[in-house]
Amino acid sequence: MKRSLALLLILALVTSLVVGCSKPADNKGEGEEAFRVAYIARAQADSFAAWLANAVMEEAEKYDNIELDVFDGQASDDTENSLIENAISNKYDAIIIQPNNGEAQRPYAEKAVEAGIVTITTNARIDNLEGASSVDADPYMQAKVNADLAVEQVPENGNVVVLKGPPGNFHADERYKCWEEEFFAKRPDVTIVGNEIANWNKDEAMDYMETWVQANDRIDAIISMNDNMAAGAIEVIKDNPAFENILAYGVDGTAEATLLIEEGLMTSTSLQSAYDLAEALLDTVNKLLTGEEEQIDIDIDCPLITKDNVQEYIEMHKKAGAIK
Amino acid sequence: MGKTRSSFISKYSIYLVLVALFLVSWIANENFVTAENLRNISTQIAVGTILAFGQTILIISGMLDLSSGSVLALAGVLSVSTYVSTGSLLFSFIVAIVIGVICNIINGIVITKFKVPPFIATLSMQTMARGAALLYTKGQNIYQIGDYIIFGQGRILGVPTPVIFLIITLIVTWYLLKYTVFGRSIYAIGGNEEAANASGINVDKIKMKAFIINGILVGISGVLFMSRVNGGMPNGAIGYESKALASAVIGGTSFTGGVGTAFGTLAGAFIVGFLDNIMVMVGVDSYLQQVVRGAIIALAVSYDIWAKSRETKGKISSAEPK
Repeated sequence: MKRSLALLLILALVTSLVVGCSKPADNKGEGEEAFRVAYIARAQADSFAAWLANAVMEEAEKYDNIELDVFDGQASDDTENSLIENAISNKYDAIIIQPNNGEAQRPYAEKAVEAGIVTITTNARIDNLEGASSVDADPYMQAKVNADLAVEQVPENGNVVVLKGPPGNFHADERYKCWEEEFFAKRPDVTIVGNEIANWNKDEAMDYMETWVQANDRIDAIISMNDNMAAGAIEVIKDNPAFENILAYGVDGTAEATLLIEEGLMTSTSLQSAYDLAEALLDTVNKLLTGEEEQIDIDIDCPLITKDNVQEYIEMHKKAGAIK
Repeated sequence: MGKTRSSFISKYSIYLVLVALFLVSWIANENFVTAENLRNISTQIAVGTILAFGQTILIISGMLDLSSGSVLALAGVLSVSTYVSTGSLLFSFIVAIVIGVICNIINGIVITKFKVPPFIATLSMQTMARGAALLYTKGQNIYQIGDYIIFGQGRILGVPTPVIFLIITLIVTWYLLKYTVFGRSIYAIGGNEEAANASGINVDKIKMKAFIINGILVGISGVLFMSRVNGGMPNGAIGYESKALASAVIGGTSFTGGVGTAFGTLAGAFIVGFLDNIMVMVGVDSYLQQVVRGAIIALAVSYDIWAKSRETKGKISSAEPK
């Protein structure tokens, strides 16, 4: 009896603490009602999605007329769909959706549009969603700036290894499609000596690279669909003189990748800037809510980062506190 | 003669599977048996196997830990962050162990005091610990971790440090299980908890001890994982608990409790390690790899169970009055 009472008390305490702390009642836009915006993130556990969510929150601080709530889709279609439904019934003025899987969220995004809520999809956009707006970076282009460089750089009859993201993920698939069309189709002399799915993960990429290094005397380039996996492969060969001249390509422009490029261990990446996305998102949602525009579809740039211009991006990460 | 052979086969069946796989892999690719490749495989399986030793102890006593991957991440990021701010390798290592132990003491209390089934208790810890790791880092990786990488990337006399940790934890687990009162107690609890209790074993105390040991192993794994990937990754090691469970079970640890050994778990881990390695080496399609991995694991365990049941039958028939 005592024990169950204690348990109940703890439960009540924890719940009230969490609920109490998470809802600061600072109503922005004093006097008039602020617009309520729901940002539904794909997964707070995904480092890019988390970076984007943090950037969106920071950017929202700049708008007095916008009150932003962030929700975590936990990398699950089901959770994400429920969050969209909840946001609709909660009567948010705008919903920004970062899909876990565009097609799975499509019907729910349509419901939001039907309910007359300003709906924006981002990273990756849900294509042809009538009545909705979108802000994105084009994954094909992100890979292409790197692939174009690789077409020039990879030596004749080179051996390359490929690290792929999770199958079915829009960015993973589009980036890989681009490498096939823009690099492998143009360089039939190149041999793929390893091609694996490392699910965006550094540790999985390391395991594959360790094995490839054993099985092949020569690897000329690492072609990775994101920076995290490229960094994992580089971790394996960074002190190995036999792979001193290896080329390595990624996508995302993470803090780690910029440091590797500076050290000369990585060749190039392209920036998918969460700051740029966040800036464009808030600007878009503001314009739509204030009625300045009715529909906006934009892509942010995906600049190529190489040793020549890497300092600029290191500075960007330093300002954000990601690099000391 | 026939009887000794069958008892040999049943006792060492999982090692026979391991040897067979090793030989097939050797034939399949000449680069498989090189010192460097075998060193790689041992390093790659080290983190998962150290977790698996903890699982082995818990499963033998009739429990399990679904939180080990998440607690690993929490212990790992806090340890990395401690190193970044203090520069002390020793202190950061201790932090990881302490976090691992604290989380597991909570697991133990919830299970022994509040009688929550281990599956649920550790499942909720899985969510809490992962959430705490993400909360602490705001979901961002910690980079520029400097000398911290010696834990996972160093070598002593040519042996990678994770392998040294693997060997030490193997010996400790083996000794604990085989030669201590604690070891005998957990087999007794897993075999029949009520009987163990009646025979005077303090079941709750032993279960708490099992979780504390598991916590130490998880803490060590956290340090090795983060050091190996050269960063503090709050979303690292997702799914490692199932990897660890698989190694333990393939190695002959039984979910019914009371059965399992440290060396069996090591063999289980090497079976998965060899399989993953050889499939990448010979370039098996990455989707097909998953199918093959699953099938071979099922086959290996079926063979192990069949070999053991044959011996049990043999024993029963030989015990019958002539």
